[in-house]
Amino acid sequence: MNAERHGTTEELLAVRDGEGSGWAKAHVEACAACAAELYRLEQVRAQLRALPSFAPPRDRWAVVAERARRERRQRRWSAVTGLAAAAAIGGLLLVAVQGTDPRQLQAETTLRSAMERSQAMEQVLKGVDPDARALDAQAGAAVLALQRQLEAIDTRLGDPARWDNDPARQAQLWNERAGILSALVDVHTTHVAYAGL
Amino acid sequence: MTDTIPLAEAQSLVARARAGDYGALEHVFRAYERSVYTLARRLTKTPEDAEDVLQETFLEVCRSLGKWRGEGSLWGWIRQVAASKALMRYRREKLRATEVLDDDVAERLSDDVPLRMDLEAALARLPERSRTVVWLHDVEGMTHEEIAELMGMTTSFSKSQLARAHQKLRAWLGGAEEGAGR
Repeated sequence: MNAERHGTTEELLAVRDGEGSGWAKAHVEACAACAAELYRLEQVRAQLRALPSFAPPRDRWAVVAERARRERRQRRWSAVTGLAAAAAIGGLLLVAVQGTDPRQLQAETTLRSAMERSQAMEQVLKGVDPDARALDAQAGAAVLALQRQLEAIDTRLGDPARWDNDPARQAQLWNERAGILSALVDVHTTHVAYAGL
Repeated sequence: MTDTIPLAEAQSLVARARAGDYGALEHVFRAYERSVYTLARRLTKTPEDAEDVLQETFLEVCRSLGKWRGEGSLWGWIRQVAASKALMRYRREKLRATEVLDDDVAERLSDDVPLRMDLEAALARLPERSRTVVWLHDVEGMTHEEIAELMGMTTSFSKSQLARAHQKLRAWLGGAEEGAGR
């Protein structure tokens, strides 16, 4: 290294950050101009850190929470429908292998019917486009309560141990799910404060 | 900034949030919304962009809480997500723009500033990449390695951008005599 030259900005920044080379550290000790520049770099950093922070102009939590809930429901719905489809296929295979047990067949038919009812209500709810509607406070609280019930049902449907692999019990849960979806459709279609946002 | 939630409390909040407790998620949001918004304001062009980054950051936090292992600081992880979202927005805008000035051209144009300005204005005038590096390194305390990974560049790039940013700030803000010829 040439002892006559000054440190570059990059070298002095490295010294400031505690990572400078031996030459740069020794040079700063001996060179008043570079020591002054190093001090200036430290001051700029301190001034940058002292700049005021900004407060968000609007509270975004409600939007974040609603979108997070919706994504969570969609993920759970995908998991539940995948599991249910696998269970239904398993049931049909069992019937095919073991021969036609009328009670088993009846249970599978009831289950499929309940699932289809729930899926149909899901489509109706999507058609209502709840995200484009604003609800008054009372209706909003009702929607929140129904969404929580829906999440609880989805959790139970996603865990076969909760319905003991019993198609009748599973069908009952799917019917409850369809009922909650139906109630959600009612709230969104009858308690709208204003629509078309 | 320093972490406003102690590590043990952060671990507990995240465990509750993963189980679907939105009260815990809101606690995390309230603790860091201002810091995320400030970071976003420094890295994006408009307050509206910064608001979008704030929202996208916390949605990603809600989706990916499982990725935080509870070892490093929660703020460090959220900051990484926020910076990444801000940089993605910058890259998208750059791709979308029909007449893009690259940073070198923008820098040459920004040399035509004869008057002294305050630090806030000087920072805002820096080219995007230089401003991002100087903010993440000098204010947020990120290392050059972390910045390089975030920006998909090398550590040398991060160091040279930091030096260029400080040279610009020096020219615009005044300060030490020019004798050193850096």
